[in-house]
Amino acid sequence: MKIVVCIKQVPEVTNVQVDPETGTLIREGVKSILNPFCEYALDHAVRLKQEFEDVTISVISMGPPQAKDALLRCLELGADEGILVTDRKFAGADSWVTALTLAEAIRLTVPDYDLILVGKQAIDGDTAQVGPEIAEILSLPQITYGIEVGLSSTRKQVRVKQEVERGYEVVEASLPALITCSKGEVVRRAPSFLDVLNARKKPIRSVSADDLGIPAEELGLKGSFTQVVKVFPPPEKKCGRLVQNLETDQAAAEIFNFLKEKRFIE
Amino acid sequence: MHEIVANPAPQSDFSKIKCIEGFDRIRSEYSAYLCDESKLPPKPFDFLFFPKDEAELAAILCEMQRRKIHVTIAAARTGLVGGSVPSDGALVSLELLDQVQEVYFHAESDEWRVRAQTSVSLKSLETMLRFKQFPTLDQSTDAAVNHNLALFKEDVEHYFYPPDPTEMSASLGGSVVTNASGARTYRYGPTRAWVRGLRVYLANGEYLDIPRGKYFASPGGQFVVWTSKGEACNITIPDYAQPKTKSTAGLFAAPDMDLVDLFIGSEGVLGVVTSIEVALVKKEDKVSVIQFLDSDEQAVQLTLALRAEKRLQLDFLEFYSGNALNLLRNLQKTEPSTVGMPVIPDDAKSAIFIEMSFDPHADQFDFSILEKVVASCGADLARSWAGYESRELDRFKVFRHMVPETINSILAERKKQYPGIHKLGTDMAVPDDHLEEMWALYKSRCEALGLEWAAFGHIGNNHIHVNIMPRNMGELEKGMQLYAEFAKKTVEFGGAVSAEHGIGKIKSHFLPLMFNPAQIQQMRNLKQALDPQGLLNPNNIFPAEVHA
Repeated sequence: MKIVVCIKQVPEVTNVQVDPETGTLIREGVKSILNPFCEYALDHAVRLKQEFEDVTISVISMGPPQAKDALLRCLELGADEGILVTDRKFAGADSWVTALTLAEAIRLTVPDYDLILVGKQAIDGDTAQVGPEIAEILSLPQITYGIEVGLSSTRKQVRVKQEVERGYEVVEASLPALITCSKGEVVRRAPSFLDVLNARKKPIRSVSADDLGIPAEELGLKGSFTQVVKVFPPPEKKCGRLVQNLETDQAAAEIFNFLKEKRFIE
Repeated sequence: MHEIVANPAPQSDFSKIKCIEGFDRIRSEYSAYLCDESKLPPKPFDFLFFPKDEAELAAILCEMQRRKIHVTIAAARTGLVGGSVPSDGALVSLELLDQVQEVYFHAESDEWRVRAQTSVSLKSLETMLRFKQFPTLDQSTDAAVNHNLALFKEDVEHYFYPPDPTEMSASLGGSVVTNASGARTYRYGPTRAWVRGLRVYLANGEYLDIPRGKYFASPGGQFVVWTSKGEACNITIPDYAQPKTKSTAGLFAAPDMDLVDLFIGSEGVLGVVTSIEVALVKKEDKVSVIQFLDSDEQAVQLTLALRAEKRLQLDFLEFYSGNALNLLRNLQKTEPSTVGMPVIPDDAKSAIFIEMSFDPHADQFDFSILEKVVASCGADLARSWAGYESRELDRFKVFRHMVPETINSILAERKKQYPGIHKLGTDMAVPDDHLEEMWALYKSRCEALGLEWAAFGHIGNNHIHVNIMPRNMGELEKGMQLYAEFAKKTVEFGGAVSAEHGIGKIKSHFLPLMFNPAQIQQMRNLKQALDPQGLLNPNNIFPAEVHA
């Protein structure tokens, strides 16, 4: 059984600081990491591999050469091979072109895949579009916001616990299928030091634009329907009105009056 | 040169300095200043000051000296031995002295240095260095400061300040006057090794600028401090030898010592440190590895083997005993996300935590020496956790610090039933050749007395924190006796009763175990020479009767 996990390398945004003068992100000293949601997707793949011996995991990423680091992280955590889709012609790709490129790369490198797992979104762009778009391009059933992924006894279907607004739903789809993964109860794995060393011996294949056969005008910035015009931090949220040290009755009256004043209640 | 001239006290009008007067007001409006992380029961004191610059500090010191009022100095109040808890008099919080003053390249030493005020926190210094962003320096109008900062930013390398006490909200000044250390002391030594200069205010409000490498004790073991008015203050360095291990017990003394070393680790009893110059080191990529083991004894054996293999350069070498891992296991059952790590393997009966240089992009890796050493102790690198991304290093660090935090929360619960109860945490280090004996003693005695305990910490420096967790007042009493027994044995082995926390007020009764009365008197004489009225940080280091 072949599982493909699509991953992305992202800046470690928890450490990003904003230049107070220019309002732009300070990249100095900011490291890149495997997108956390991609890591949750990989975690589901590794769980399936632990359950079923014949599972192999291919991780695939479109990005600059340094995205290899994110692939390495996946190889340390249990993936079997890495595929780096890299070419200057891919630069500036929006979510649609990224999905198109990844879909073609999957068709080329793991044509007999059974299951595709992706993170629900990347923490830098936050579009949550690439996974569903890959599924559309490959004409696959898709389940989004999965937090548990299991296989039916015949292994012809995937069963997914899906986050919905008011709780969870369990949904099934026939394989091959694509699942986008949310966080759930996952605590990030830690590879052993031996896994870290051995990961460096696992294969990482490289795929270029020429390998994919997609016309140049459909790739990268040229093929993109959308462009990022400006990146800026959201305005800081101001502190709301804070009323402290009141008795319960007074506090309730305070809230009631506030809601009434703002016409939230009659 | 063993003579130094003090600079006159900068002038400021004392009457205009903000002063919180009266213990009732301090207690009700500034309760955080009553205590520090030691949780030492607070005592009444009369004045609370927040000097906004050195001139105000000088004016406060002069006025307190004139009125013969004791002065206790505080900054981040993260100390564990009550050093910043006033016994009476005035508390001077230096928290407003929190600016980085300069980053510059010291060509002669071939190193980058930072000069900063005392209350810059270690955490903020780390962040500023990581991003090369120094808000106060960026706005400086001093051309030399701007030029040096520009050079620092242009340097393609990144730099860090090596000392890493567990509590990174500690102030730089606090870490200097306690000669703080941490895990990385294993490779880099304690704070002392990184201090390149100090500005120190004396009890009379005058100040000394002391660069490292300029003022050394005379062959007779003396310094002379000249006041700005031409009065000589003769200081005789005590003649005791330092233990052959980490130590923050008592004043530092050594033949031909540098004057700057006298103030490092002095716990504020000789002067008030307001500005510090420290050296930085080039940052390298690191990997943290938690190696799980079959027993505590195997951890001790692995420590000895790792230490003996000189080709391995580890940044730190830390320990979790089996019962420390059990505490974390229990926490994982109830709060897995708090622990933030995978489930601790069932077969892990202890662990060693190491950090070392690791370039994840290197074409070739050779960790065969590490593999051999680990295998030679019957352990297996496959039974480990490893992480090298910065978020992973942070996660591992949090995990490393989680044992003491868990113990503190257990004791906080027990305190509800027994208000007098507290944990008993050892901070003792012994020379290398006594690690096995000391560990055997810790374990056998704790078990023989049936106490609940856990051990963790800096095993690479033979500095294991044994934390006894009394379940009732009887066990507290038993634990205190055991603590004294450990302290006595530590001294017998040539170790230090306080390896990193300092003596402060809480451990002053252990001082006589390490030093004889004549040696303690030498320390007192030294203090008296610089602070004749005994006004600065009373009851720190020296037992209370000295100031009675």
